[in-house]
Amino acid sequence: MMKKRNVVLGLGLAAALALTGCSSGGGSADGGGSSGEAVKGGTLHVLATTDFSHLDPAQGWDGGVNNFYRLIYRQLTTFAGGDTDDPTEIVPDLATDLGTPNEDNTEWTFTLKDDIFFQDGTEITSEDVRFGVERSLDPDIAVGSPYAKILLEGADDYEGVYKDGHLDSIETPDDKTIVFHLNQPYADFGSAVAQPVYTPFPVDGDVTTTSIDKQPISSGPYVVSEYKPGSTIVLERNEYWEPDSDEVRKAYPDSFVWTLGLDNSTIDERMIADQGDDKNAISGIILASSLSRIQEPSIQERTLEGLKGCTTYLALNTTKEPLNDLKVRQAISYAIDKKSVQTATGGPALTDIANTMLPPTVKGHQDFDLYPSENSEGDPEKAKELLKEAGYEDGFELSLDMRAVPVTQAQAESIQESLAKANIDVKLNVVDTAKYWQIIGTPSQQTDAAIAGWCPDWPTGATFLPPLFEGSQIFDQGNSNIAQFDNEEVNERMAEIRKMTDVDEANKAWGELDKQILESAPAVPLTWEKAVTVTGSNIANAHLHEGYSGGIDYTVVGLKSVDE
Amino acid sequence: MLFYILKRVAAGAIVLFLITVFTYTVFFVLSPDPAYMICGKTCTPDRIADIHEKLGLDKPFWEQIWIFISGLFVGREYGEGVNAVHCTAPCLGYSFQTSQSVFEMIVQRLPVSATLAVGAAVLWLLAGIGGGLIGAVKKGTWWDRGIMVVALSGISLPNYFVALALQYILVVKLKWLPFPTAVPFADDPLQWFQAYIMPWFVLAFMYAAMYTRLVRANVIDTLGQGFIRTARAKGLDPNIVMGKHALRPALTPALTLFGMDFAALLGGALITETVFGLNGVGKLTADSITQNDQPVIMAVTLLAAALVVVANIVVDLLYSVLDPRVRVKAQ
Repeated sequence: MMKKRNVVLGLGLAAALALTGCSSGGGSADGGGSSGEAVKGGTLHVLATTDFSHLDPAQGWDGGVNNFYRLIYRQLTTFAGGDTDDPTEIVPDLATDLGTPNEDNTEWTFTLKDDIFFQDGTEITSEDVRFGVERSLDPDIAVGSPYAKILLEGADDYEGVYKDGHLDSIETPDDKTIVFHLNQPYADFGSAVAQPVYTPFPVDGDVTTTSIDKQPISSGPYVVSEYKPGSTIVLERNEYWEPDSDEVRKAYPDSFVWTLGLDNSTIDERMIADQGDDKNAISGIILASSLSRIQEPSIQERTLEGLKGCTTYLALNTTKEPLNDLKVRQAISYAIDKKSVQTATGGPALTDIANTMLPPTVKGHQDFDLYPSENSEGDPEKAKELLKEAGYEDGFELSLDMRAVPVTQAQAESIQESLAKANIDVKLNVVDTAKYWQIIGTPSQQTDAAIAGWCPDWPTGATFLPPLFEGSQIFDQGNSNIAQFDNEEVNERMAEIRKMTDVDEANKAWGELDKQILESAPAVPLTWEKAVTVTGSNIANAHLHEGYSGGIDYTVVGLKSVDE
Repeated sequence: MLFYILKRVAAGAIVLFLITVFTYTVFFVLSPDPAYMICGKTCTPDRIADIHEKLGLDKPFWEQIWIFISGLFVGREYGEGVNAVHCTAPCLGYSFQTSQSVFEMIVQRLPVSATLAVGAAVLWLLAGIGGGLIGAVKKGTWWDRGIMVVALSGISLPNYFVALALQYILVVKLKWLPFPTAVPFADDPLQWFQAYIMPWFVLAFMYAAMYTRLVRANVIDTLGQGFIRTARAKGLDPNIVMGKHALRPALTPALTLFGMDFAALLGGALITETVFGLNGVGKLTADSITQNDQPVIMAVTLLAAALVVVANIVVDLLYSVLDPRVRVKAQ
């Protein structure tokens, strides 16, 4: 739920990026030359600036590392491959299906497939899945996905398998069957078990809390054969992985080599130059300053573009005067010139304008604009009218929390300018980047408004709206409901949607709730940033995956041809 | 002599202790709470209290410093029970973000920085001393002016510019070199050389400039002194006059400078390592700062300080070898 910290740091980067042309939303963005047929074999290189946060799936949890985990780990379910029509659809992975719930969705049973093995050839059993989850709940490493802790009965005060023994709410009646007892009805549990914390580890494999981060034990198509933190990661094939047991992973290359710690501009330079092994390379999102250099048709052919699936927004602290007045918040929603925020973020090449909290990549997303203005340039007159009704005819002073990052700074300044036209005097409160999330996540320290961002844990409203707008999610520290929005009707509606047994119906309801929330204007959606990346000329079947912050899906990418 | 060495080592230890206290204060008391970076996304106040306890941050300030310093000699234990993390001596701290002891992290990166520093040092000493000598001997000629212009550009051009320009010309345009990927020498000597030659040159270009100017000025100064005239007057071989009598005293100030520069480079060439993607101590510093991994930032700061202190002691001892006049005083 609180994916905030890493994710939004990511957003800061995201904000520096993107490209021209293509319309948004296209999930498996086909970039001409990169979409050809891939062959088996060869070594695929990945050029990256930083190391992954953790090799231990109990600890790592962000778009980039989750994407990587799919090469070495499997969970009960997972996202479909980036080369399918709907990559954000959840499909069975180790399990035969998406799980069978009881009547009220509080008890879920999964059956494991045959021919699933760890890297040493031992078969993966339900006990191993249970062990993996129990291990991940140890407070010392439980910094990854919280979807075991918040859903499993008794997980709240459980201290992990090493201290507390087994967790009673996970049962393993036989080697192939695993049953989860939840503390609440949860219709979308089939998606929750795709989270990295549901990765199995051998119950009698000398696994400790800290060992996996150094020596991962693979259940996927590759094993980690070399790991030098901060420098290189080499993956080789896991000979015990059975392709027939896996409908998602194509695992084309024989090996993957990550070169870590490269300078961002050097990566762009190498991708554009396309020399030697770099022909077989992919990388992350390019720098805004490199945009003009990839406009050549030969480079455009190997450029991919898509939405990252996150929203940057302005949170309005609903507990502070005068922001506790609905009319004032609506006035701000009208007044903000989103066009200029878009320009500040790098222009249409880098980002789309957001009018809803849920980005178009989220299932059930509804398109609407409650506070329209011409060309999205803001409507200060309408804002002034509303302020007059609210009794703030002469305007007021507003303090805006922001990070000392160039993009955020530019966004804040454009917000400042557009609100000035409605007589709202914005004072920028520049906060040190390292302290930013700590400060705006502490209600006693945040000021009136803040620029923040959110990426969903998987693309549904359920992992998007509650963390940001549910009353019970307001905490003294580590708070993600930065608007401190506590609306009885919205809270009730969230509880109702959670009880829905039909996931599609629930997704639709979340989309509608987005509108209901924005009617109260606790936040102003600003931008949806894009992911733009250039691949090597020998790369095939490269597809951006919205489930992984717009990164290239590692499980389906391969080489066009392999030198013998 | 022994007493002199002991005195210097003791003074060095006191300086290092003060630096430790200072950096500890800056990083753990004044900076953002490291618990937040470790705590992850499901952070609760209880969890933060737990992390404080595990890191020993709940203890009084002086006790924390004591634990840190004793950890250097006897190692230390984080937490207790099954999940305890042991950090063996010399324990410079433990990075919970990377699940590694900081000492281990630095040791992994040090060979890259050392390769970089040694290679660059060889180049810049050759160029600096050679250039300085030629400049001094041929004072006022086109040789001298030419060398001084190059030296001036070495000092004034920022090294990230030189690095990027060099990479663009040699790699992208001329394709004489591949993009650098550092490997150990034993794995692939050619690739090793190709990866380091550009960074060596960039660093050497910057440092050589200073040494050229320094050596040139010192040699000119020495050449004007009485003992050189005497040496020449008694008919000594001009090469011996130059090499033995003029150059040696001119090198002592350069040695002081060299000790500091070399030590600082071992502690990481942040910009050069970053541009060329070399994962040395400098890159580690840069990464740790971005990720706010405080134990690592603190350790590399201490390392850099320690290297400079040690280099100073070594230089002072070498002084007496190079210059007999200092030897007398030291004794």
